[in-house]
Amino acid sequence: MRFKSQRVAYYYFVVALLLYGLQVVFGLLSAAKYLGPDPLLHLLPFDKTKEIHTNILIVWVLTGFMGAAYYVVPEESRTEIYSEKLAYGQLIAWTLMGLTTVTGYVFGWTAGNKLLEQPLPMKVVIVLVMLAFLFNIGMTIRKAGRWTTTEAVLVAGLVLSALLYLPALIDFENYTVGIFYRWWTVHLWVEGVWELIQGGLLAFLLIRLSGADREVMEKWLYVIVGLTFIAGILGTAHHYYWIGVPHYWAMFGGTFSALEPLSFFGMAVYAYSALRRSGLSHPNRLALHWTIGSAVYSALGAGILGLAHTWPAVNKWTHGTLITAMHGHMAFFGAYVMIVLAMITYAMPALTGRDEEQSSAVGMWAFWLQVAGMFGMTMAFATAGIVQTYLEHILGIGYLDTQHKLSVHFVMLMGTGSLFAVGVLLFLVDFFFLAVKPRVHGDSRAGSGAAWTPSSAAQASK
Amino acid sequence: MTKRQTRLFFLGSTLFFALIFIGLTIDSHRQISALTHSDQMTADVIAGKRVWHEKNCTNCHTLLGEGAYYAPDLTKIAEQRGAAYLSQFLKNPAAFYSEAKDRRLMPNLNLGDEQIRHLIAFLSWVSRIDTNGWPPRPLLVSGAFPGSSPAHAQQAAASSDPVALGEALFRKSPPACAACHSTAEGVQLVGPSLAGIAARAQQRLGDPEYRGHAKTAEEYVRESIVAPSMFLVAGPTFSAGGRSFMPDNFGHSLQASEIDHLVAYLMTLK
Ligand code: HEC
Ligand code: HEC
Ligand code: HEM
Ligand code: HEM
Ligand SMILES: [Fe+2]
Repeated sequence: MRFKSQRVAYYYFVVALLLYGLQVVFGLLSAAKYLGPDPLLHLLPFDKTKEIHTNILIVWVLTGFMGAAYYVVPEESRTEIYSEKLAYGQLIAWTLMGLTTVTGYVFGWTAGNKLLEQPLPMKVVIVLVMLAFLFNIGMTIRKAGRWTTTEAVLVAGLVLSALLYLPALIDFENYTVGIFYRWWTVHLWVEGVWELIQGGLLAFLLIRLSGADREVMEKWLYVIVGLTFIAGILGTAHHYYWIGVPHYWAMFGGTFSALEPLSFFGMAVYAYSALRRSGLSHPNRLALHWTIGSAVYSALGAGILGLAHTWPAVNKWTHGTLITAMHGHMAFFGAYVMIVLAMITYAMPALTGRDEEQSSAVGMWAFWLQVAGMFGMTMAFATAGIVQTYLEHILGIGYLDTQHKLSVHFVMLMGTGSLFAVGVLLFLVDFFFLAVKPRVHGDSRAGSGAAWTPSSAAQASK
Repeated sequence: MTKRQTRLFFLGSTLFFALIFIGLTIDSHRQISALTHSDQMTADVIAGKRVWHEKNCTNCHTLLGEGAYYAPDLTKIAEQRGAAYLSQFLKNPAAFYSEAKDRRLMPNLNLGDEQIRHLIAFLSWVSRIDTNGWPPRPLLVSGAFPGSSPAHAQQAAASSDPVALGEALFRKSPPACAACHSTAEGVQLVGPSLAGIAARAQQRLGDPEYRGHAKTAEEYVRESIVAPSMFLVAGPTFSAGGRSFMPDNFGHSLQASEIDHLVAYLMTLK
């Protein structure tokens, strides 16, 4: 860690990881309700566990992005963060917002709009916190008077994320119009501006982990994010096939969303070529695993599994089935969970003073169990989704009768989900209990070197 | 290729495609009113939409195929069920479904009568949105809709056999007869099984409870379709307060010839 103020990232990662653990608990609860019967039917029915599951996901991934930005921006601009105080205050406000929102859901305080369920006052807080965050980042860069492409792409992704959240604050009278703009946030986030964030972080990690030439890496970064927007903007229309908007969207949506995998494949090739040139010699093997993992799994989950149901003639049958959940899980995990975990494992040695080569066996187990567990969950959702599509949508058998036949897949979901949960638990153990071992070390490639740890910092400030 | 060139590529293509997207969005706004019949968005419909969001229905159900996958899609539910049934169901789902049988159950959301009326208005409005042909085949809550393929319907339309036409219509949505009635012995969906209805119709005429105008079995079946409350099949989930849960508007929504076909078909179920 080169700059003292980078330590704020550590606290962002703490919040993100605690929420990650909670998210998975609610995922398992939701899956158990699929199997049924549900002893909590009247206390905490499915709609609440599911909305908590997905909302915590969004909140913690954004927390991770912000933490990552507070780590990357000082290093790229070579300066301390403009205001460390603001960064902490913002984290506290953000965490309180998240906890209030989730508690509200338990008691039925919700906007009931998929993935944008945050009640209006909470949405306003989200916007304010994002503004404070962007102000702090912007002033940091301004103070330094210097920025890199990697950092610019990352920050552009964050600025556009805040901007695209704004339509979610409007209450549209026409349900169809409401759905139309819901996708400006949801789709243009995950298949647009968040890819800028993923691409920026990937470039940052690859340059450091592989020592690849920055000029070359940044040149290709522009190509990748260019492809993202060429396909992703009009690709929004793969959500506009059946919702009551003009039918021409089907042609645009089908064609352009079919091109969306290009940028995900681009990132996989990007990672491969960077590492092939310099080999896998970096001592932080854990971070290498998560980085490559993200590139590969997002190509699979978003690229291949997105492509699988994006064409109108296919989507006509799969729309509204568990096929969507299959794709949503692997894509979200591959692209955004893994890239945040890659940043965390990369920054961990510098933030906690742990030796990089010490990448513990526990960390590796955490990686492989999550990768294997998510693969199994994807298979469980996929087989359930295929059977559901065939029996309910093609043969015309009733919904409830079809779900009855899916029990075996839901058992599989619980099993593989539990495996996944153990992986998450090990990650938390590694982060919270095994990592904080203050020691001096000096790997300049990792940008670490100062003997700084959160605990030593706490002592120093006394 | 230099970094400057790739940056230009990024900025240029982003701007270009964003402009196309915004152009198409503006054009869509001009057409959405007609496609969604926004002139029929009454105050009740808008209030119903609010209840839909407040009660978080979308995190169990899909509507227009979007939402959660824990409960049936509701895009066409108003068309399939009608207001009489839906208002009773929403008041107390457990009276109609059992967790022991289905492994899941819709919790009672303590909806007031007003809220239920608004929800039904909203769901009826949604069922009329032009969804570009989705779902391609009726989606049912329970039961089966066999032989409802477009090819099957075309085949029936090509023939002029009233029985074949009636059977095809029975399985179409609307009128969605098959969503509520099975033709298999003993399979009760929302309404009673219609297996053997032709024979049963004859017995109904002799039923001392019968107050209708039908003189023959065929007339009874016809009356059951256009005026379902004239005779109520006994059962706790078939009617309430003297009113059948079967929609009572088939006399208007179906053509006379269509009703003839349905009757002809049902009279073959001996
Ligand atoms: C906790 C999950 C959950 C929530 C929340 C929920 N439902 Fe349901 N709903 C179900 C399930 C499960 C079924 C399937 C029938 C059953 O088992 O009760 C169902 C069935 C239905 C049906 C079809 C009944 C039939 O026989 O045709 C309608 C209509 C319906 N729900 C409307 C709503 C509305 C409107 C809301 C919001 C006010 C809502 N639901 C909220 C779970 C839910
Ligand atoms: C919302 C569900 C629903 C729909 C849709 C529906 N029905 Fe019914 N139907 C019922 C119920 C409930 C009963 C029993 C109560 C009663 O006697 O009206 C019934 C009764 C009947 C009966 C009398 C059965 C008997 O044993 O006397 C006939 C015939 C019938 N329906 C035909 C049809 C036809 C034909 C259609 C399509 C045009 C249709 N139904 C659509 C719910 C429905
Ligand atoms: C990292 C990138 C991606 C993530 C995180 C992601 C995630 C998701 C999620 C969560 C949904 C459900 C959304 C909802 O119903 O509200 C969804 C739907 C969908 N995604 Fe993706 N996705 C990604 C990339 C892609 C790509 C590249 C494609 C196409 C090639 C694609 C095609 C689709 C389609 C067609 C649907 C709609 C499914 C339906 O009919 O309901 N996705 N995605
Ligand atoms: C033990 C692990 C997990 C289990 C058992 C689980 C289970 C579930 C279930 C049952 C649903 C509800 C599907 C529905 O809408 O009906 C769901 C939704 C969702 N989960 Fe998970 N989940 C787990 C972990 C995760 C993780 C790690 C992620 C993020 C990468 C994630 C992302 C999502 C998303 C995006 C949705 C919404 C999907 C959609 O609407 O299509 N889940 N999950
Ligand atoms: Fe999308």
